[in-house]
Amino acid sequence: MANDMNNSDEERYSYPFEMPSEEAVAFSDGAIDGRPAGVPSSYDKGGSLRWTPDAISEVHALAQLGRYQVRGYNCFNQRLPTFDDLTFVPATMTRLPLEGYREKCDTTTILGNSGNVENPLELKIPIYIASMSFGALSASAKAALGYGASKVGTMTCTGEGGMLEEERAASERLVYQMSPARYGLDLDHLRRADGLELVVGQGAKPGTGGLLLGMKVSERVSKMRTLPPGVDQRSTIRHPDFLGADDLAVKIEELRIATNYKVPISIKMGATRPRYDVAIAAKAGADIIVVDGAEGGTGASPEMLLNHTGIPNISAIRAAREALDECGMSGKVSLVAAGGIRSGVDAAKCLALGADAVMIGNASMIAMGCNSPRYEEDYAKLGTSPGACHHCHTGLCPVGIATQDPDLEARMDVAVGAERVARYLTAMTMEITALAKACGKSSVHNLEPEDLRALSFEASAFTGVKMAGIDRAFGW
Amino acid sequence: MSEVEVKVGERSIREINEEIQEHAANGLPMHITDTLSRHNLGIGLPKGAKLRFDGSVGYYCGGLNNGATITVERNSGWGTGEAQAAGDITVGGYAGMSVGAAMLGGVIHVKGDCGPRCGVAMKGGDIIVEGKLGYQAGFMSHGGRIIALGGAGESCADALWEGEVWVAGPVESLGVDAKIVEPEAAEIASVEELLATRGLADNNREWRKIVSGQRLWYFESREANAWLMI
Repeated sequence: MANDMNNSDEERYSYPFEMPSEEAVAFSDGAIDGRPAGVPSSYDKGGSLRWTPDAISEVHALAQLGRYQVRGYNCFNQRLPTFDDLTFVPATMTRLPLEGYREKCDTTTILGNSGNVENPLELKIPIYIASMSFGALSASAKAALGYGASKVGTMTCTGEGGMLEEERAASERLVYQMSPARYGLDLDHLRRADGLELVVGQGAKPGTGGLLLGMKVSERVSKMRTLPPGVDQRSTIRHPDFLGADDLAVKIEELRIATNYKVPISIKMGATRPRYDVAIAAKAGADIIVVDGAEGGTGASPEMLLNHTGIPNISAIRAAREALDECGMSGKVSLVAAGGIRSGVDAAKCLALGADAVMIGNASMIAMGCNSPRYEEDYAKLGTSPGACHHCHTGLCPVGIATQDPDLEARMDVAVGAERVARYLTAMTMEITALAKACGKSSVHNLEPEDLRALSFEASAFTGVKMAGIDRAFGW
Repeated sequence: MSEVEVKVGERSIREINEEIQEHAANGLPMHITDTLSRHNLGIGLPKGAKLRFDGSVGYYCGGLNNGATITVERNSGWGTGEAQAAGDITVGGYAGMSVGAAMLGGVIHVKGDCGPRCGVAMKGGDIIVEGKLGYQAGFMSHGGRIIALGGAGESCADALWEGEVWVAGPVESLGVDAKIVEPEAAEIASVEELLATRGLADNNREWRKIVSGQRLWYFESREANAWLMI
């Protein structure tokens, strides 16, 4: 009987060849004195789950700085589910596909068709440019976004820095953002806008106001925001004249009167509790609700807010749509998804999950040349490299997009940037329609959750999308 | 020119404002009655419009004012004259929260006390309060002056940018990063001159001028290179 105490010689197996030497059994190559040969260290990359090299370097940074770190760009939390956790299941036997290279797929997108205003926003594509301020971005970048969006029949949004004349001139349709700080707000700008966006939060840092470090508060920015030049502008998050949902309803009515009931009013929120927040915004009278996921970008934010606040875009969209369905507002109030959308594929997944349109910020900057492999010596000065730069907060953007430095801004050619944005939006739209047609849809707005399957339990649980193969949503 | 009467009552706010806008376009001064403290009366009106509210009004009366002269004979609700770019609003009684929020110019004159966060985020213009300011008056105001004759509540002039809060009378407490400075004679003269135009001349007031301590204006460095550790 075999057991671990049996050491008797008669039961031992003997090779039909000579036993190799101990030296031969040991990996002799690369041996280090004092360690088993061939094993430099079991933990040469570190072994602690908590004290990873990143965690250690963060402590070192905080210990030297005595404050939280600030940076731009977006969420670096590696654990967030992504759009890649979902896949499309095109028409096969149960459904009929459309001819991807022959048949048409409608991309017309109407936002704010609530019946409350005269001029809903009619876009040719289901994508528009997110609210990013002049201040965070250079005037040239803002103008380029406006022209590029106009070329493909869509719109841009001012962000919180007030209405930039270059952007107004460049944009056929421009949404004017009213942030809690109300920088540059005046009646004339409200009436020159094609829509209003009341921002109560953003995906990158819900619950916290805007941040623009002094390096970007140039003379022009400071004048538009009525701020002392060079201050570190840390904005309010609470609006000055409304607090709760009931007040917001009155505020929305005021804005309708001021704009003669002509333009739709959006409420932009960071994704936190979308099931309730969206219902409240709809009840307050919003025509459009923008839900910005935790993946959303920003020009500058305390690091921990970027990485550890908000919920992912894919989980917020389904909850938001269900909220609108439950309160009977689907079809009256438009739902826009934002946050971390990189391509037409991501956008198509948003539409399938229930969004009426998507808003892109970082992606449009990258299309213009953010993180492109030029001016490498300037990336090096920031301690980074093309493809990894996240230094929007410094105002030293090597490609002239996230800066107020005139020399750097000169690198952002408006015409070139506009054309890149237009081509990117066109390509994204082609990606959406190609996927939609494969799924048998003659309009991109007919995409539905049934067109998707989840590739992970998490994605299924977050979205209610059925698991691939088993065809049931992961249940609790 | 004699006033035309606009009755508020239970009519829709849209209908009432359209009637007000029409009279304003025709240059007719208005006597607005039966106000029922309704919200959103007299929004975004142009220069030359004259309105006299015979009663109390609700939220945002005179909001986004672009030059109108508005008198509220009794009390007003939140956000009176919010985002006013130009014009003149007088409230005969008390005013609620956030009088003149984010206003850019013109004058708002409250004869009674006003609620919290008067002049929050204001960018310019003057707010005169004959009574007492509620708490956190001038919160994060960028510019302009808040002038109170009857003292101020707690956390006065909290987190200012370049706004100024002038108080005659006791201040319960200063807000974050606020400091009292000695006003210059020319500045006092300018304040008193404004008050004289409102029938409030009195050269014996003791003023506290409260401005930003500027400690919240900056993190520790304005150099881009100091922000590269991340």
